[in-house]
Parts: sequence; structure tokens; C-alpha cells
Amino acid sequence: MRVVLAEDFYLLRAGLERLLAAHGFTVIAAVDNAADLLTALLEEKPDIAVVDVRLPPTFTDEGLRAAIEARRQLPGLPVLVLSQYVEQLYARELLADQGGAVGYLLKDRVFNDDQFTDAIRAVAGGGTVMDSEVIAKLMTRRQRDEPVTRLSAREREVLALMAEGRSNSAIAQRLFISDKAVGKHSTNIFAKLNLPPSEDDNRRVLAVLAYLNQ
Amino acid sequence: MAFLGLLILCTIFVLSAPRAVTKIWRFAREQGTGALVIRVPLLRDVGWGAALAPVTASFLVLSGTFGITNVGGTGSGNLFNAKSIPGDLFYTTLVLAVMALYTLVRPRPAGYLAAAGLTGIGAWVLYQALVLPRSTYDYEWYGWLRDQLYLPELLLLGTAGLAGGFLLTRRTIVADVRARRYGLAAQVERLSRTRAEAVDSAAAELRRLERDLHDGAQARLVALGINLRTAEKLIDTSPGDAKALVADCREASAKALSELRGLVRGIYPPVLADRGLGDAIKALALDCPVLALTDIQLPGRPPAPVESAVYFAVAEVLNNAAKHAAATAIQIRVAHARGLLRVQVDDDGVGGADPASGTGLAGMERRLGAFDGILAVSSPVGGPTIVVIEVPCALSWPKTSTS
Repeated sequence: MRVVLAEDFYLLRAGLERLLAAHGFTVIAAVDNAADLLTALLEEKPDIAVVDVRLPPTFTDEGLRAAIEARRQLPGLPVLVLSQYVEQLYARELLADQGGAVGYLLKDRVFNDDQFTDAIRAVAGGGTVMDSEVIAKLMTRRQRDEPVTRLSAREREVLALMAEGRSNSAIAQRLFISDKAVGKHSTNIFAKLNLPPSEDDNRRVLAVLAYLNQ
Repeated sequence: MAFLGLLILCTIFVLSAPRAVTKIWRFAREQGTGALVIRVPLLRDVGWGAALAPVTASFLVLSGTFGITNVGGTGSGNLFNAKSIPGDLFYTTLVLAVMALYTLVRPRPAGYLAAAGLTGIGAWVLYQALVLPRSTYDYEWYGWLRDQLYLPELLLLGTAGLAGGFLLTRRTIVADVRARRYGLAAQVERLSRTRAEAVDSAAAELRRLERDLHDGAQARLVALGINLRTAEKLIDTSPGDAKALVADCREASAKALSELRGLVRGIYPPVLADRGLGDAIKALALDCPVLALTDIQLPGRPPAPVESAVYFAVAEVLNNAAKHAAATAIQIRVAHARGLLRVQVDDDGVGGADPASGTGLAGMERRLGAFDGILAVSSPVGGPTIVVIEVPCALSWPKTSTS
């Protein structure tokens, strides 16, 4: 899988390159600023871009802007955005084009390389992966909302994992329950939230996010 | 007949004036949104001085226009000759009405005008009574005699005018000059207080940061180093234990990171640095557990320290609304007009918020005070709560992107 990497901090960039190579990814370009990132994305059309939000020259949100701009020119270009902090505002902007193939994670998630590379593959495959912190904030926000309060504790756990972009089997593994149980929970969740049922993981995530974010 | 007309007009004016005042008062309340900061000056603020302005001003204008100079004499300009008034009835009414309106809109200058006018009229009448006759009539006995007939009235009128004028001058012009001087002294006093408070709160904030770093991330990094050293020693002899230690280290570093993230948010929220006040407030609204709608009209960026102070104030207000007021909806409005940044946060909660009792809002008020900003709270028991933040500042426009 061909990866374009954008990270301005040398140690982290080198570390990520090593980590990705160790998991069988090919880093075709590793850049340290937004202008080079946009050029690399548009020329190389990688299978996925892993992008730090804060890049030179102004060290604000160039990475995010470059990613959104690249996706405007190449719709559906898979982008995984990494940041030292997550903002729902930025998550919304990334999800706004509804093209899927978007990820938004805290940099800390890189520590767990298996989960991190799973996320990369999910996004490259057209999926949507949101950091659990974004989901947690969305969930607290909807607490007063009637339908969400109707969910059981277990169903809320499943919903949170679903919104992070995990498949049924990944959720089952994480919660130590069977795939069938997860299927049952998700059917219940969709029924209680009045969402159209869907087997497609990405459509499922988008539906859940749209519901939480409305 | 004409006198009757004048009487009717005056009556109508007297009857309609209170309604006009009420109307303008209501308009001011609506414009001032929320009856918190009403800037339209009102008649009662200036007192009776300004109320006299229409009358004295009318007299001044009319005497200037129609030449009522010969107060004690005969002719159309005679003050005591009612014949001159009916002819000027229309103009009298017009001037009266215009001056009344002017008084309502700009009571202070109207008060000055009244003071100057009254003094001037008094002086002029006395001049007419005591000085002018001798020069005009050349001591002709009939002229002099006729003047003496009016002398008591003129003396009374002139003295009353002068006395009233002096009194009014004290109440308006002198009072304002004094207020200006004392106002400056008060401002110096307020500035030195807010500066001291700003320095104190900055120092306290630094101490808190030092403590948090010392007990948090720093301590975790020390532990991390020790554990890594141990793992290094164990790696050959007991790889299993070493692996467990390394896993611990990874967790410790994640915890240190998350603590640092929290600290950074408390110092200067990244989204504020990235996007400025408008988007930072949008981000706050999104993170707020209560549904919060934003209406942000901010074409540029306020100075960074102002952005930061306003951001933390809004965060505190949202926090209060969600935690204590049990609100279900919040409306945030941000706008900048005529050199004033204005943020208004309305919630539909239970109200009863007292900025004096809670340390949070008081602290924010002190912080805004350093920029001559204010934080006003209207929170009757039962709600709703309206918080207004105003800071005088200029906006700067973002540099055009080079990339």
C-alpha cells in the first residue's frame, strides 16, 4: 500500500516511516510542509495520506486544509489526519464532503501500532475512523436526547466503537462477545435510533456520526 | 383667541412629551438588547436643567430671529406685548418641538444651552432695565418715567434669570467639568487596580502550571526513565519482564501526553491559535454538553490577549450554563462594531447566577477588566440568563496566505 506521510517533527516522521515499513506499507513520500504535501498528494495519488494537522509555515492547521483541498480535487482520496488534540470542529470539516475514506486520530494512537495500522487500512478501504475522544464528546452531548438514553449500557459501548469505524468482528473482539451478539446489538441500536439498517461498515459509521452530530 | 391656541398647543406638547419619553425609553431597551447596557442618555439623568432647555433655547432663537431686544419698550419686539407672540406662534411651536427633541437625544449639550441661555437672558434684562434706558432716551422725562413703571418687574425677572442661570451652570457645566476631572482620577485608580489584578492572576496561573507540570508530566517522565533503565537491564536475562515494563512505559507516556494536552488547552487552546476566536467559540459550542447555537460575525481577529481572555470567559459561561443552570439551549452571538467586541450568551436555564458569589465569573471579569472589558450578567431566579461581554479593541485582518 502506497503512503504519503506529512509530519514536520523529524523524529516522529522517521519513527512513523519505520513503523509503516515494518507493517508492510510503502512510504512513497515523507514531507514536512503543507505545500509539498499538496503537490505529493496530487501527483502521486497515494492509497492513503497520513497527515499531521499542524505543519509549517504557520504551524496552525495547514495539514488539515491541504488534506481537504486535495480531497476537493481528488474526491475520495483516503486521508488519515493525526493531531495532538482533537476538535469536533475539525472532524466535521473532514466529514463534510461525505465521501468517506477519512480518519481523524490523536497522535497517541500511534503507540498502539496494530490498532493504528488497522485504522490506516480501514480508511484506505474507504472507511471512516474517528478518534474515541471525538465520539466520547459527541455521546455526552447527546445525553439529554431521548433516543440515545433508550440504549442500554452495552449498546452505548457498541455504538461508540461503531462510530470509531470498527467492524462487527473487531467490536466483538474488543468487548469479548460473539459476532452474533454484536449483530443483535447493532440491529437494536439502529432500530432505537430510527436509522436505516446497513451492513456496509462505512455507511454505518456515517449514519451513526450524522445522528450524533445532528 | 391666539393666546388660546398657544395654550392648546402647549397642553398637547405637555401631554405628549411623557409618551415620547416612554417611546424612546422602550426603543433604547430594545436596541440595547436585554436591558443590560443602555447607552441612550435619558432625561432623568440630567434632571431639570435639560428640561428647561427647550424654553430657554426657544427664547434665545426667537429673540435672535424676531428681535425681542427692546424688552422694556413698546413695539412688536416687546416681551410684555402679547401682540408679537400670536404672529410667531407657528415658529414658536416649531422651535419648541425641535428643541424638545434635541433635549431628549442630547440632554447634556441641551443642559449647557439652557444654562448659558438663562444666564444670558437674565443679564440682558438687567441691562435693559438699568443701563439701556438712560442712553436710549437721553433722560427725557417721559421715557424715563415709562421705564420706571416696568422697573420692578424687570429687576425681578433679570435677577431671577441670572440666579437660575448660575444655579443651572453649576448643575450642568461645572458638574460635568468636575466629573471629567474626577472621572479621570477614578480611571487611573481602576487601571492600577486591574493591572495589579492581572499581574497577580498571571503569577497565580504560572504557579499552578508549575505545580501541574511538576506533579504530572514531569513525574511520569522520571518514572518512565527509571522503568526503561530497568527494562534495559532485564532485557537479556528476563525478556518477559522487560516486555511488560516497556508496555508500562508506553502507557505512562500516553498518560503524560494526555496530561500535557489538558495543560496546553488551559494555557492557550490550540484551536484558538489555529483559527482565532470565531472558530474557537464554535469549537466550544460543539463540545458543550448542551445544544449551543452560534451566530458569529467577526471579519478579523482581535488582539491575541483579548481573544484568549474572551475565549476563557465564554468557556466559563458555557460551563456554568451546562452545570448549574440546567439549560437545554444556549445561544452565542459574537459581533464587532464601532471598536467594540461584543459577545452575548443566552441560556434558558434556571437563572439565579450571581457573579459576585462564584469565583469563576469574577475571575473572568477581572481578566477582561485588564482590557477595559466588562462582563455583565442578568440572571433573575427562574431564568433566563443573559451574559454580555464587551471589550474595546480593533480587529486585524489575517495576512494573505503565501502558500
